[in-house]
Amino acid sequence: MTWPDEPTDTRALHVLAKLARSTVQRPTAAELERGLNLLSARATSQKARRIRVMRWSLAAAIATAGVCVALGFRLASVLRGPGLDPPALAYRVEGGSVLAGGYLRDSGDGGVRLFFNEGTRVKLLPGARGRVRSVDKEGTRIVLDQGTASFDVARSKERRWLVEAGPFSVAVKGTFFTVSWDPPSERFELRLQHGSVVVSGPIASGDIELRAGQRLVVNLPKAETLITDEQVEGTAAGSSSAPLLPNQHPVAAGPALAAGQATAKDATDTSSSSAATVSSGSKVEHKSSWAEHVAHGQWNRILDEVESRGVETTLETAPSEDLFALADAARYRRRTDLARAALLAQRRRFPGSSRSLDALFLLGRVEESHDRARAISWYDEYLGRAAAGGYAAEAWGRKMVLTNELKGRALARPIAEEYLRRFPKGSYAGAARNLCGVP
Amino acid sequence: MSKRFSQTSLSLVVGTTRRDVSDLELAQALAVGEAWALGVTWHRFAPMVLTMAERSLGSRSDAEDLAQDVFLSIFRKANTLREPEKLRSFVYSFAVFGVRSELRRRKLRGWLSILTPEALLELGHRSVDVESRDLLRRFYALLDRLSARDRLVFSLKELESMTIEEIAEVMDISVSTVKRSLTHAMARLSRWIIADPGLADVFDTRRWQR
Repeated sequence: MTWPDEPTDTRALHVLAKLARSTVQRPTAAELERGLNLLSARATSQKARRIRVMRWSLAAAIATAGVCVALGFRLASVLRGPGLDPPALAYRVEGGSVLAGGYLRDSGDGGVRLFFNEGTRVKLLPGARGRVRSVDKEGTRIVLDQGTASFDVARSKERRWLVEAGPFSVAVKGTFFTVSWDPPSERFELRLQHGSVVVSGPIASGDIELRAGQRLVVNLPKAETLITDEQVEGTAAGSSSAPLLPNQHPVAAGPALAAGQATAKDATDTSSSSAATVSSGSKVEHKSSWAEHVAHGQWNRILDEVESRGVETTLETAPSEDLFALADAARYRRRTDLARAALLAQRRRFPGSSRSLDALFLLGRVEESHDRARAISWYDEYLGRAAAGGYAAEAWGRKMVLTNELKGRALARPIAEEYLRRFPKGSYAGAARNLCGVP
Repeated sequence: MSKRFSQTSLSLVVGTTRRDVSDLELAQALAVGEAWALGVTWHRFAPMVLTMAERSLGSRSDAEDLAQDVFLSIFRKANTLREPEKLRSFVYSFAVFGVRSELRRRKLRGWLSILTPEALLELGHRSVDVESRDLLRRFYALLDRLSARDRLVFSLKELESMTIEEIAEVMDISVSTVKRSLTHAMARLSRWIIADPGLADVFDTRRWQR
């Protein structure tokens, strides 16, 4: 666009405004999902706070009805005052500085280190970029834009720690862990040495709770989620700067878990193949369902139980919900044969159930790492039977990606067009637009 | 023993997905606190709020924070919406109000702080060449010098391409005030551009006339 007759300042203003207009992009699907996750968490916490406030108001109203009761409440509030109002958080920075917007800039080769007054330590390894989003009485939000960072979070009931890495959010209690996010490859990795965390993000099975010694790797382009057990490190400080291992250990051995700083509870809770854990697990197993084990990341507990019962017996006798949980546990442990068998058993034994339809989609997910053509046919079958099912968008998206990989762009394009028609704002919309050549 | 049922043909009736609901239905769902309405509202309006806030504030992370606050306020106050079919305007007004508050807070922080923080341009993820990034940094530094109202009026007019009347409505001020603010902002920015050798020199060359 030209403004030949305009004076320099007006022309400059137009050009600058146009530049600012064109530089800002619409948020990506992953950014929107991350924002929604955070918003949901905040909305829930606000609701809980409102309920707390209402309860306190009610208590105060009752207290004013009688002098004795009022005195009791006052006394209680005086006694509990310091506990309800934790001191403000503060931190100091070493190896760098904090810029406007909370950006952490390193000033040397050692990475930026943050030391919080309640004992929490955060270290951004060299090359990592991150931000301190907020620090207040309720807790702290740290954003890891890229690279690896280690967190040694002090246990606190009052404060909530949240670490965001790409589209993933990690809700933290007292714990020590390292987290990595690589934006180009969209690969997320978390190694948990102590404590527990809940990871939320674009993971098909929803939020995942990790226990001490577990390692979670999510590869978004391949739609892979892998959880493995690792040996608990000897000390927090010793492991804080250790680089991430390229590969996980095989599913853990019992004695290693009991070593180091792992507490007896941690060792018992952590899923492992040790005899002690199996026996304690088998006492509990009748009380808690496998779905609950899945929700708590105790995949091995399920697999151990299947081994002890016998695979065939389990597949023939387990209820529908347990078969589904078994398929999940087996998928996370990369026991694809077992996952496939559980899903096929689900379809064979409970043909009319909604889980039977979902199993079609999950069979596609299982097959993706072995036989992509077969995976496409599972997705086709799912879409044929459940065109408006809960996994329909995901099935269309995976089918589009696999078709592009196997048969090329020309055959993937009609699927991309169909995807955009059905799910214009879906999580595969960006990839679909690329295939269609739409900006 | 198995019993055979008569094979009645069944047809699958596909309902409207919740993402397809109208603004009116969505506003009504928000007002009664339907859980699904949160996600649908976010996906429908967050891109608009985020891009407007990012252009106005010059910072992606500030825009994200603001969007969070804006949507939380909307969910809290959805039951006060008198004309549910105008949900989009309702959201936009909240966003504009949020941007104006953030700009005022920045001004206040600027007056109170002894050390002015380093200006940091943080716009989206689009790769921008070094020269353009420098121009944008200077441009946003000039915008920082405007009053919150003048800056917002300028941003809505020049960056969001809104009409004077639309700006007056979303900012809840009169048309004449919008015009006055815009004239004031343009005059000051023009004066500052001429006084900034880094900008004036660039725009004296002919390459920007393409």
